[in-house]
Amino acid sequence: MTDSHFSRRTLLRYGAYGAGAAALAGTAASWDRLTGADIPGRDDGSLVVATLGPAYGPEAVRALSEGFKKVHPDIKLRINAVQAVDWSDFFAKILTQIAAGTAPDLVYVATEGVQLFAQRLGVALDHWVRRDAEELREYFADVHPSLVESMMYEGSLYQLPVEFNAADIYLNNQVLRRAGADFPASDWTRDDFTGLLRDMKKASGSQFTPYFWTNRLWGGVVPWLFANDTNLLAESKAPGGDWLWDSFYPADRRGGRGGGFRWTTPQATHDRVEEVYDYLASLIREDLCTRPEGGNGQNLIGVFSTGRVGVTPAGGFWAGGLSLAGMRPDGFDTQYFPRWRTQRMQFGAAGYALLRTSKRQEEAWEFIKYAARKDTLTQLFETNQTTPARRSMLTADRYRETGPRHWQVFYDTLDKFPDTGPIPAPPQVAEVEQVLLKHTGTALSSPRAVRPALRRMQRDLEKAMEREI
Amino acid sequence: MTDTQIQAPPSTPAPVAVATRPSARERGTRVLAALFLAPTIVGIVVFTVVPIAGSVVLSLFHWNVIDSPSFAGTANYREMFTDSTVLVSFRNTLVFMVFAVALQLLIALTLALAVNGRMPAWLRSVFRSAFFFPLVLSAASISVVMKYLFNQDFGVVNWLLGLIGIAPVPWLTSENSAMAAVVLVYVWQQFGFSFLLFVGGLNNIPKEIHEAAALDGATGLRKHLGVTLPLLSPTLLVASVVGIINALQVFEQPYVLTNGGPGDATRTVVMVIYESAFEQLRFGEASAVGVLLFVLIMAVTALQFRLSRRFVHYQ
Repeated sequence: MTDSHFSRRTLLRYGAYGAGAAALAGTAASWDRLTGADIPGRDDGSLVVATLGPAYGPEAVRALSEGFKKVHPDIKLRINAVQAVDWSDFFAKILTQIAAGTAPDLVYVATEGVQLFAQRLGVALDHWVRRDAEELREYFADVHPSLVESMMYEGSLYQLPVEFNAADIYLNNQVLRRAGADFPASDWTRDDFTGLLRDMKKASGSQFTPYFWTNRLWGGVVPWLFANDTNLLAESKAPGGDWLWDSFYPADRRGGRGGGFRWTTPQATHDRVEEVYDYLASLIREDLCTRPEGGNGQNLIGVFSTGRVGVTPAGGFWAGGLSLAGMRPDGFDTQYFPRWRTQRMQFGAAGYALLRTSKRQEEAWEFIKYAARKDTLTQLFETNQTTPARRSMLTADRYRETGPRHWQVFYDTLDKFPDTGPIPAPPQVAEVEQVLLKHTGTALSSPRAVRPALRRMQRDLEKAMEREI
Repeated sequence: MTDTQIQAPPSTPAPVAVATRPSARERGTRVLAALFLAPTIVGIVVFTVVPIAGSVVLSLFHWNVIDSPSFAGTANYREMFTDSTVLVSFRNTLVFMVFAVALQLLIALTLALAVNGRMPAWLRSVFRSAFFFPLVLSAASISVVMKYLFNQDFGVVNWLLGLIGIAPVPWLTSENSAMAAVVLVYVWQQFGFSFLLFVGGLNNIPKEIHEAAALDGATGLRKHLGVTLPLLSPTLLVASVVGIINALQVFEQPYVLTNGGPGDATRTVVMVIYESAFEQLRFGEASAVGVLLFVLIMAVTALQFRLSRRFVHYQ
């Protein structure tokens, strides 16, 4: 007589077999997901373009893709909007993709990464630029040579700039009125700036900070270094680049241009660098500005728009940002960064870099040209989330709804101060930036901390610059 | 009365081990056990053992993602011990661990004892949920919010202090207070885990022991020190082991709150690993630091278990 009931052991055994089979079936069914093969456009011959996610909204990405499809129906395009908090985070994610063997064909790269990509990953665009010179003539005529030069490395051009942001000064008009101060003149000096901060402080309560700044490579200490006619690293220009300047720029606009910037010897202990840190330390002591670590852009819009901050350095990107935050066009205005020994200003620019690993370089070049077209940029930069690299796009009409009143400042920063240049970003930029941030914090942490901190900064910068990437 | 000698039982011959083939049933049992264990073992091997081995191998190379790795031997380890940032990060991490774990255990134990006292069941549930709640939130999100709260110029904390006449404190911007602020934020989020462990541990202590102690005249602190803590020592061991392992791997809070600053005041080992690898493209050096951290965690945990023989009492 047989027992028709399963024993517990048998039940467990069949349960285990069933679970194993289910696991195998599940793995097989989701294999595409596990290996990433189900990602649209992957390995289907698409041209893959990696952009910094937050820079372009879904509408902009759609416009970019559909517009390109109309011009080049034969080229499949996939925009990979990589979400990242800043450029260094973005580059980290791109490099991880490269390490994983899923490198994009094109990467949207800002000044912070131009030389790193050019030196190690990028393809020079020279022969394409020469080949399509006639087509590009209109583009170069519309773009300031400083922006183009910032995208050159050792004589070759690696990107066509499509946007930039210079560190101009934003002023809260309500705070200006409260302080009884006039809008500053375009040639205002560092002392005028300090006086304005004191007036603002006097007219406002204890919960008010006249000058807000962020401790980072762009817009932190560097604009003051430029204004004091110095830099973190000794700056020079690589030879070459004549092939481009002679072809596209008239003699009066190509003078002094070279083959791109070189940032070499650290000079953190230079007298003028010390002067800058002493000046910022004095502002902190007087309670006229934020401490460096306290300043981060995340909460800046809120405190600026509500009148708890008087002035801050920002680029054209902030016109759109303040407008989105509900600030009226006449609620703020913009002026050049104040003069010290010079009125040289700093900027960061961005464009598409073509990777050496790309097997679709011709198609990629077509995309680079398409992305630099005026109609494309007009669609992309509708909300004034940046400053277009094309001068002709900066019009009163563009800034009518968002402000500021003196919108001309954005491009005139380049036109009126032709020596305005990019933030110092050698291939070792990540380490340079980290050293700058770290020691800036220490230098401004207490009285008499400046010199020892700058000596340590110098030592660490030397170490960083010696290191091969 | 004479002593009677207890007779030893007659010795029985020792059984002789005979090698026998396992029966079909035993083989079935083993196969079954293997099947049940396989997913976990595969998971541990694929997601723990292989990455650890990979890190050890990678620590012997220079690799920047872009070029092929080049053999470096022990160069990464030698460089690590001469890099002031790495050494400072280890010191910071150890300091952080000591204060964070001590504070976490102290707060969790105090609150667990309080909640375990006389109070309505519904209120106990409210407290348990409230104390555990921060743990289920993202550390990065909490840190972003805390960064606003602790902001020297616009933060709510300094605003509240201002109401009672206290000058703004540079919570996150002074070398003297930044680490303390990071520890506070970390402890606020993490103590709920230890709290739950202690609540469970306290519930497992038989009431009779407390009643007996009360009969012997033990009250209040004396009762807790003499009875509760020794009986809670296994739970304390688990909480401290988990707490120390987590604290040695702290990353999100210092990264978001202070980015390691001011200077290197709050830079932790995992931050250095992240920065070396993903910002400076020095994967070999980052792996070497990772291997050292792994060894440190293993050593500290082994030491805890070694010491537990002396201090932990099981019922």
